[in-house]
Amino acid sequence: MFRKPKRKLYSLIFVLPTFAAFIIGFIYPFISGVYLSFCKFKTTSDAKFVGLDNYVKAFHDEGFLRSFWFTALFVVVSVILINLIAFFVAYALTLGIRGSNIFRTVFFMPNLIGGIILGYIWQLIFNGILQNYGTNLALDARFGFWGLIILMCWQQAGYMMIIYIAGFQSVPADLYEAARIDGADKKQVLTNVTIPMMMPSITICSFLTLTNSFKLFDQNLALTGGAPGVVSDSGSMIYQTQMMALNIYNTFYANQNSRGVGQSKAVIFFVIVVVIALAQLYLTRKKEVQQ
Amino acid sequence: MKRKHITRVAALALAGLMTSMALVGCGGSSSSSSPKADKTKDGNASKGKVYYLNFKPEADGAWQNLAKKYTEETGIEVNVETAAEGTYEETLTAAMDKSEAPTLFQVNGPVGLANWKDYCYDLKDSDIYSQLTSKDYALSEGDAVYGISYVIESYGIIYNKTILQKYFDSDFSTVKKIEDVNSFDALKTVADEIQANAAALGVKGAFTSAGMDSTSDWRFKTHLANLPIYFEYKEDGISSTDAIKGTYLDNYKKIFDLYVADSTCAGTDLANKNMTDAETEFSKGEAVFFQNGSWEYTPLTTAGLTDADLGMLPIYVGAGDEANQGLCTGSENFWCVNKNANKDDIAATLNFLNWCVTSEAGTTALAEDMGFVIPFKNAKEATNVFVKADAEYTANGKTPVSWNFTTMPSETWKNGVGTALTQYAAGTGSWDDVVTAFVDGWKTEYAAANAE
Amino acid sequence: MAEANVAKVAPERVKPKKEKPPVKKQTLGMKILTVLFSVLSVFYIAPVFIVLMNSFKTNAGISSAPFQFPNSETFYGVKSYITGMFFGNFPFWKTIVCSLFITVGGVFLILICTSMCAWYLSRSNSIICKIIYYLCIFSMVVPFQMVMFTLSKTADTLHLTTPWGILIIYLGFGAGLAVFMFTGFVKSIPIEIEEAADVDGAGPLRTFFGIVLPIMKPTFISVGILETMWIWNDYLLPYLILDKAKYKTIPIHIQYLNGSYGHSDTSAIMALIVLSIIPIVIFYFACQKYIIEGVVAGAVKG
Repeated sequence: MFRKPKRKLYSLIFVLPTFAAFIIGFIYPFISGVYLSFCKFKTTSDAKFVGLDNYVKAFHDEGFLRSFWFTALFVVVSVILINLIAFFVAYALTLGIRGSNIFRTVFFMPNLIGGIILGYIWQLIFNGILQNYGTNLALDARFGFWGLIILMCWQQAGYMMIIYIAGFQSVPADLYEAARIDGADKKQVLTNVTIPMMMPSITICSFLTLTNSFKLFDQNLALTGGAPGVVSDSGSMIYQTQMMALNIYNTFYANQNSRGVGQSKAVIFFVIVVVIALAQLYLTRKKEVQQ
Repeated sequence: MKRKHITRVAALALAGLMTSMALVGCGGSSSSSSPKADKTKDGNASKGKVYYLNFKPEADGAWQNLAKKYTEETGIEVNVETAAEGTYEETLTAAMDKSEAPTLFQVNGPVGLANWKDYCYDLKDSDIYSQLTSKDYALSEGDAVYGISYVIESYGIIYNKTILQKYFDSDFSTVKKIEDVNSFDALKTVADEIQANAAALGVKGAFTSAGMDSTSDWRFKTHLANLPIYFEYKEDGISSTDAIKGTYLDNYKKIFDLYVADSTCAGTDLANKNMTDAETEFSKGEAVFFQNGSWEYTPLTTAGLTDADLGMLPIYVGAGDEANQGLCTGSENFWCVNKNANKDDIAATLNFLNWCVTSEAGTTALAEDMGFVIPFKNAKEATNVFVKADAEYTANGKTPVSWNFTTMPSETWKNGVGTALTQYAAGTGSWDDVVTAFVDGWKTEYAAANAE
Repeated sequence: MAEANVAKVAPERVKPKKEKPPVKKQTLGMKILTVLFSVLSVFYIAPVFIVLMNSFKTNAGISSAPFQFPNSETFYGVKSYITGMFFGNFPFWKTIVCSLFITVGGVFLILICTSMCAWYLSRSNSIICKIIYYLCIFSMVVPFQMVMFTLSKTADTLHLTTPWGILIIYLGFGAGLAVFMFTGFVKSIPIEIEEAADVDGAGPLRTFFGIVLPIMKPTFISVGILETMWIWNDYLLPYLILDKAKYKTIPIHIQYLNGSYGHSDTSAIMALIVLSIIPIVIFYFACQKYIIEGVVAGAVKG
């Protein structure tokens, strides 16, 4: 496509604007963020290098470890549920059932409102229900967990549905025709034509749900805020429904020494997410149809 | 044909973009700094300017107006930016990093100061320090003065005079006048009797719901928790500690139990209740007592209550010299001047502060538009009935309870106590958990915050 | 893969036709689905409806009975809208313009720049392109909290604290998702079409805008919608970066209705949320048409 002589020119036109903004908006802040994780600082201008100190503290933080396991469990459950629901809904909506357009609009609706507000609305709803049983989201971690799962499925399924629908619609019609001519039944069409052709969408959606669930912050903050919290025997406060992003965020402002620790937690968190996300990408990309 | 269509869509989008850009352009130029301020900036750059990072969102408008007035009077540029509720620390952190950092900011007490001490200008020679009515309202360490309080607030148990009078007049009451409500036992008697005769008095409960929602839980995890800390500090003759002993936690339990038992709702509902609930219950006359502070005056009078309905009692917990106990009075809002700002800006900021607390325009705005009671010599007389009550208590020789919650080691500590209280009220946790959160949590959090 | 080969050898041009007619004969299964989805829809609309309903209630009404219709006691009418719009002394229309500008500008910039970038990245095999692609993916997994301070510092240093400047930040910070999604879809476009255009002498620019872009329309719409939702509802990034004395977006404006000591004007907040949803609903309904049209665009590929 891009022949040698003009290659440089075109790479400038096509890639440079995005890449330049990317450096400003991400790469530079990220690198200095990594550097700060080795520092003690209040503002980025007064950072003092302290080596691995922050990392040692981060790994000894009970609350951080707890938030890791809570997040991991949450990610597994939500990624599976959201993708199953979204794929099924998108499939059903491209079948041409009556009211498809309305449903499509409605299912995406939750995304019109920001995460914090959604969290508060669902908090009202859950607590309104739980109140009848004399309990509350803030009293039992199980409610918080399933509350978050329901909230995320409800919101993200509509979001992923949009991507799946775009995927379904980019499967060439001829493929279906060819399959029909070959005498494939509905199930065979789904497993042999639709799913392989849908792999790019599946890759995208599972990657997005994975990272979204890992990074979940707004909804966590608004729905449970990490509650209930329990003060352990060692005297440190352990939030039962706190996910990693919220833990990191709270660490930043916990006290005057903790900003660097928060930053190092963020780096640890980042490494974990990268490893898992790359593994997932590798696995699903392998299954994609090579054109 | 397809291409044409795409081009059309793109053109349309671009046109829309341009229109909105033009609009923003207009907005930008017509708003922001007035032309006059711009002129001064160019003309007399040496005069310096003020950049205030304000803490109270509800006072934002009033501060903007006051800043404008000052600029009109002196030509000095004053920018006021307000942090959204609950995000002051984030906002300050981000703002302090800017090339033009705030010249004026605030901390909430000794613990907040520890965070920002390196940025605080020593105010001991400033005019504003000399304007203070009492040096106790400054935040100092050794000789240096790092923060100056700009608003003094009181909290206690707000009561509805009208309903309470109805109780005093009734035949089931054992306590007959407000002066006799001067100890925890008396308060408990009154509350219990009101609770038992709620229907006769037309109320739902003695106390408004002690909501443990985040808009309301600070009343208990922070303000109420101040009392056991205050009495312990007083007994030990200290002003802060690395390990609280919890000597007065039984008293803390007694008062909290009373709030939960004699309430408008069941303990299991408290986790769900918020500030609006309590405020509504009180202003509709569904409850007689409401633990809150002088800042509540405006909302309550807006909701229809009058000065004749409102009074404030000290929070009696059955400790110390109850007969001479006053309201909890203090401050958690201290102005600090940024040491790292350039000299002119520091000078301009100090002048501005002095003008705010000495000039007619400044003191009027602080008192009337913002509803602050300022601890400075030129302060306007307060109209706030709770502030008057505090003055009255002091005049009658009662000792105000100081605000020691500013020495609580961290937000995490407060949250730990808060959740333990919530669980305790709901019956899913025990009081021991509250004690653990209070005592052990303090030690851990203090160590974490002060480790080097 | 046999199926994939079908696509390659498919006839040059199939008459563009709708893959599925709008209403097919409804089988029993489809009817059941319609009923099921109708029930689900209620569940989906409810929260949005609760916000709308509560925006007409007093604060006390919202707090004591969030799921009830306003009654004579709790009805607040449009007063909440008026307080919401006129509190403080920052004009509300300016926050709308600011939000609109940032969203429209940001999405437009992201769509154009990243689709070009993504196409180039997926059609070029150089190491640098691969690295850029993986960096984009990295950026998606970084929690915002990690770059929060450094990003606002960078924006301040480069004077990007205006609605203009923040567009660049959005392009940079939003590039990850968009590049990732575009590359995913570019891969499903047969390269033969582009090669044919190349043989005809169309340069990469003409090939991209003339051929690739129309094919990617469904993806444009999906990415556009997702980015719009993100930027329109985003709070923390503009809050930290924008010069708030001069510019506020709607989510920032809403935050200022929360006062200290637990005083927040819930009904005004609800009212502003309703107001802030309206433009996005209009936008979304407008896009709906194009998502459906995407079927036609998809058929061109064959």
